[in-house]
Parts: sequence; C-alpha cells; structure tokens
Amino acid sequence: MSRIIVGMSGGVDSAVAASILVDKGYEVEGIFMKNWEEESEFCSAEKDYKDALQVCDILGIKIHSINFAKEYWERVFEHFLEEYKNGRTPNPDILCNTEIKFKEFLHYAKDLGADVIATGHYARNYHNNHEVLLKKGSDLEKDQSYFLHGLNQHQISSAIFPIGDLEKFEIRKQAKKLGFNNYNKKDSVGICFIGERNIKEFLQTYIPSKAGNIVDQNGKILGEHDGIMYYTIGQRKGLGIGGGHTNQNGAWYVLNKDAINNVLIVGQGHNHPALYHKRLKASNPHWISGIAPKKHTLNAKIRYRSNDVPCNIIELGMDNIEVEFKDPCFAIAPGQSIVFYDKDICLGGAIIESYSN
Amino acid sequence: MYYFDHSATTPVHPEVSELMDSIQSTIYGNPSSIYSSGQKAKSVVENARRQIAESISAEPEQIIFTSGGTESNNQVLWYMLQNQKKHVISNDIEHPAVIKVLEFLKPFGLDHTLINVDSDGIISIDNVKKAINPQTSLISLMLANNEIGSIQPIKTVIDIARENNIMVHSDAVQCMGKMELDVIGLGVDFLSLSAHKFYGPKGIGILYAKEPKNMSSLIIGGGQEMGLRAGTENVACIAGMGLAAKLATTSIDKHINSLLEFEKQFKRGLQTFFPNAIFNGSQVNKLPGLINVSFPKHRSDILMAKLDRVNIAISNGSACGAGDIKPSPVLSAMGIEDTINLSTLRFSFGKSNTPEQINYLLNQLKSILTPE
Repeated sequence: MSRIIVGMSGGVDSAVAASILVDKGYEVEGIFMKNWEEESEFCSAEKDYKDALQVCDILGIKIHSINFAKEYWERVFEHFLEEYKNGRTPNPDILCNTEIKFKEFLHYAKDLGADVIATGHYARNYHNNHEVLLKKGSDLEKDQSYFLHGLNQHQISSAIFPIGDLEKFEIRKQAKKLGFNNYNKKDSVGICFIGERNIKEFLQTYIPSKAGNIVDQNGKILGEHDGIMYYTIGQRKGLGIGGGHTNQNGAWYVLNKDAINNVLIVGQGHNHPALYHKRLKASNPHWISGIAPKKHTLNAKIRYRSNDVPCNIIELGMDNIEVEFKDPCFAIAPGQSIVFYDKDICLGGAIIESYSN
Repeated sequence: MYYFDHSATTPVHPEVSELMDSIQSTIYGNPSSIYSSGQKAKSVVENARRQIAESISAEPEQIIFTSGGTESNNQVLWYMLQNQKKHVISNDIEHPAVIKVLEFLKPFGLDHTLINVDSDGIISIDNVKKAINPQTSLISLMLANNEIGSIQPIKTVIDIARENNIMVHSDAVQCMGKMELDVIGLGVDFLSLSAHKFYGPKGIGILYAKEPKNMSSLIIGGGQEMGLRAGTENVACIAGMGLAAKLATTSIDKHINSLLEFEKQFKRGLQTFFPNAIFNGSQVNKLPGLINVSFPKHRSDILMAKLDRVNIAISNGSACGAGDIKPSPVLSAMGIEDTINLSTLRFSFGKSNTPEQINYLLNQLKSILTPE
C-alpha cells in the first residue's frame, strides 16, 4: 500500500485526513469531486476548491479535479426526486457513497494508480479474519457509519478513514496548527446539494407541488397543505393549522402521508400513539460482510443521528426483512434507512417500506 | 515541469524579469512627479510605450497601458455606450471578456448580435453582412481564438466595416509573437494585448486606439495615460512588457518556425498510436503551436490528472474556478457534442519547449491512452 488518493471536499475533515496520511509517509494525492452543477454561472464550489487547494499546497501534494455531476444526477438525484414524488423521505447521502464516492471515485482513483482511497468520514474499518468490518467513528456525535452501511467488501477494503479515531475538536485543532484556511469552516448540514437552502424551495424547482387536505385520523379536514412531499413523518413545525404550545392537547404532528390520495394525516402531541410503532418492514437489505448476520438481536438506527435502539430481526429474507423493536419507535419514515449495529460494528441496513404495531 | 500551456500564460523571459527586478529596486518614483526620480520612471514608461508601438506598427500616442486584455476589451465596449449608434457585432467564440461584457451592457442600452462560427471555428462574411444594421457602431472580432487558435478573416471584415462606417476592435491577446501584428496594415480601430501571453509579466496589457483623442477612460481618476486610464502606472510591469514585445517581434520568424515544428512533431507522433484523435478547428487558418485535440472515449479531467502526475501541464476547454470541467462553449458553438467536448485537451507550445520535451509528452500520452 503506497499510493493513496484522498477525496477532498474543501472541508476540514478530509484536509486533516490527508495530512495524517502524509505524516505516515504515504504517497498522497487529492481529488476534488464535483457532483453538482449550479444553475448560476457563478461557480459556488470555487470556495471549497480553493480551500482544498490551499491544504494540498501546505501538504505539498497534488490535487486533481473530477466532475461526477452527470453520474450523480442519473444515479442519485433522479432516485431522490422519485422517492419524494412518492411521498417518501429519501437519504441521498447513502446512495452518494455507494454509487459515487465508493464506485465512480474509487474507479477513477484506481485508474490513476491509487492502491486505496481515503475519505474524511467519521468511521473506522479493520480486517478481521477474511473480512473487513465497518466500525463507528470514535466521536459518536459525528459518527457517519450510518451513511456508509451500503458499502460492500470490495468497497470497504479499498478505503481508509484516517480520522475515524479522532474527535472533531482534535481535527479542528490540528487543522489550525497546520495553517489550513478551513480550520473553522462550518460543518456541512443536511443534504449536500441543498446545503443551507430551504428544502421546500429547492424541491419546488424540480417537482410540481400539489396542494391537498390536512386531516386528522378521523378524516376531519383541518387545513390545506401545499404538497405532501414537503412534510416528513414526525414533523411538527410548519403545518399552519395552529395548536402550538398554547393548545392544551399539544402541538400537531405529521402522523402519516397518504401519497395516493394526497392527504397529510396529523395528530396532536409528541406522544400520540400513531407516531410510535413496534415493527417495520424494509426492503433491499444489504450486509457489509456479504452475508446476513447470524445474530438477530441487534441495535438499529432508523435515521442518521437517532439513538441506537434494541431490536430483533424477526424475518430475514433476501429482498425483505421485518424488524421488531424492544420499545415502540418514534416517527419511522419510509424511504429512510434502518441500519443495524452489533455494539459499534455496523452490519448493514435496509430501506424502510412500512411500519405496524 | 513540462509546460505545454503557453496559451494560458507564458513564463517570464529572463531578460524581462531581470529588467523588472532592477526597476523595482531602483526606480521607485511616481512617473507623475516632476523631480528626477519621477522623471526617470516616466522615461521608463515612455520607452516601453515606444517599444510596444513599434512592435505593432503603431504610434506611441496610440498605446494606452491597462491591466491586461480584459480591461482593454472592457474599455472599448464601455466606450460604445457613449456612441450615438448602439449596436455591436461579435461572435459565439469570443472570450468572456467580450461576450459577458456585451451581456452586461445590454440593459444599459448597448445592443449586440453574436454571429455563428462554422465547424472550423471561423465566422462567415455573409453573416457579418447580415448582422449589420444602421445602429451598428462596432464589430469586435478576436484575431485568433484562445482555445482552438482559429484565425478570423479580419481584413475582409474591416473592409466591410469601412463601407458601413463601423469601427473594428480585435482582441489579439493570443497573437503577439505568433503572427505578424501590423495595426496599420490591418486597419483596426482598437486592439487588445496582454503581456503575460508573450513572456511578459501578468497584470499588464495595452489597448491600441487608432484615434485616442476620441476615446474615453474606463477607470476614472488622475490624468495618467492622456486621461485615458487613471491610476499610477505599474512602471516595472510596463517596462517588462515593452521589452517582452520587442523580444517577441525581433525573434518572431524563428519562434513561428519552431512552433510549427513542434506542432508537426506532436501531430505525427500522436497519430501513430492514437489515430482516433480529432483535431478541432481550422488546421489551416490557425495560430502555430496551439493544438486542440479530442480523445474520444477518454475523459479530459482524468487525462489531465494523469498528465499532471507525470508533471505535464496542459489545459482543457474552459475550467471554472472549481477546477472542474464543463463543455467548452467554443467547441459547442462549433457543433461539437458534449461527450467529445469533454474529452478535449489543448496543447500550446512555446519558447521553453524542445523536441525532447515533445517526445516525452508523446511517450506519456501513449502509455496513458494505450496501456498494455
């Protein structure tokens, strides 16, 4: 293992990842990936690129720039829109890893002579017998194994995660010490291509919105929504039907989305029973090791940054699984992924299709 | 480094940088000051003005020092706002320093027509004629294109312009040292040049104006440059540009010959192992030493990364600030489809190159394009 190509985003994590590899004496190069074209001619990735360039300049390594906007659009973004159109809540960052970063980027990095690639993900991987395992990052606040659960053995054995053992504050400290301009750059939040923008405004430009009724569980019309794709199960804000903190029955929550009838079903209170479910069905299970786990009593996250909750895989098929939680789970959202853990080892996951009690 | 990107910029000629160093360290007077160190600076500036003028067969009074080609182009186009007739003709493959300025000036009342180019990247005279209307005050036509090197039929255009009482501006930043530049012979009204394209420093250029009396300043302030460009003169860079212009014109024949030799060596060599290479733009009417090639089934960003690995500097169509590649508008205007467009590289040879370097380039390309 000698030549490592690092995916550089212009952010502080990948910058420090590269510096760690340089320190260890590897032959390191950076690749700046551009996955999204802005409509405006102004190149908004320019600042990120400049930051990556400055880091590579300090480290004395080469940086190349590769555009995967077409691949991203076809394999990630179109699926993202499709899911929203169907009233689901997709997670494009998971697909971005499996389809772009650990497929296209990996392919071209290998073509450029890389032995392995490295990224600034908060995750760890290590060999155990004939298998490579994915482990949570040390900084549990930042752990990104959730987004990486779709990788296979080939992908995960071709990658290293140099900052997986570090905490965010250490990363920033190190970046400052090295003189990186991005040492204090804000963490990216939300979906990368939407960035700081309002997701509703963003979606409006791609999907025609269709207004419909907001109803309670008995079908009583309470108001109108401007498109169910703008709402997520468990969402409280922005329903526009009153009943905030002052209402004695509690705030209104999105309980369910009926895409077929274009109806948003709501109920009052965070503890509304219709927001809690004990079971879910999920499709397309993927296991990092390539084989389904023997152990069925595991922990799971049903969205990024949710707590690990104890669960039991009660039905385990090739295409579908069914999971039962120890305690009812809040706001299970179809389209999101359920990701399984055995302690801090990430085993894989599946896409949530439906829930029940 | 193996540098084959002379159309992007050129290394500063050693004599030029020596001259600039000595001026920077000894002549710090302001050319507008009347005491002797100011006088000295003034004479450096005026000497350079004469050198530049001689290199393009102009009079010193017709040379305005600017910060470069972009500013020179801007000065001409903004000046057109003051003309009674407010229509400008240009074309699809001009540099953004013309096209974007025209787009910007449109809401201020300056109308424009961009005429098409053919698949060789050359305008048709008929299209120029068709675009002319009674309001047309200026035709802005680059002498040679920066991406493909195609040379426009400017003399014919100027003849037509004269008949219609229209002025002509030419962005000639790619041309100094690579083709004869004779503003009298050409008959242009305005011409833009940039020093860093001919082995001079960056951040300095000129605007040639046939009738500077009628011209106006873009940068407003002090009375420098006969009131046509305010701001204290960049003395060392101006001197460097003057010398660079002189060097470029005195060695022009030799330079053109060596560029043509490099070009021949490169094209022949490339065709032996990559016969599918597509040479874009006119191969007859073009600048020597600038070759735009598409490598079907290869991505230009990947090719560039691989060449960078072996210390070869070349460029692709139009890199944006994020270093990534978009289809070149120039190639698109010539009707080249996106996948071919995105497989295109530009090689531009120059003074620092040798036949051995071209061989190195060919060998590296061969191992990248035809791996065993």
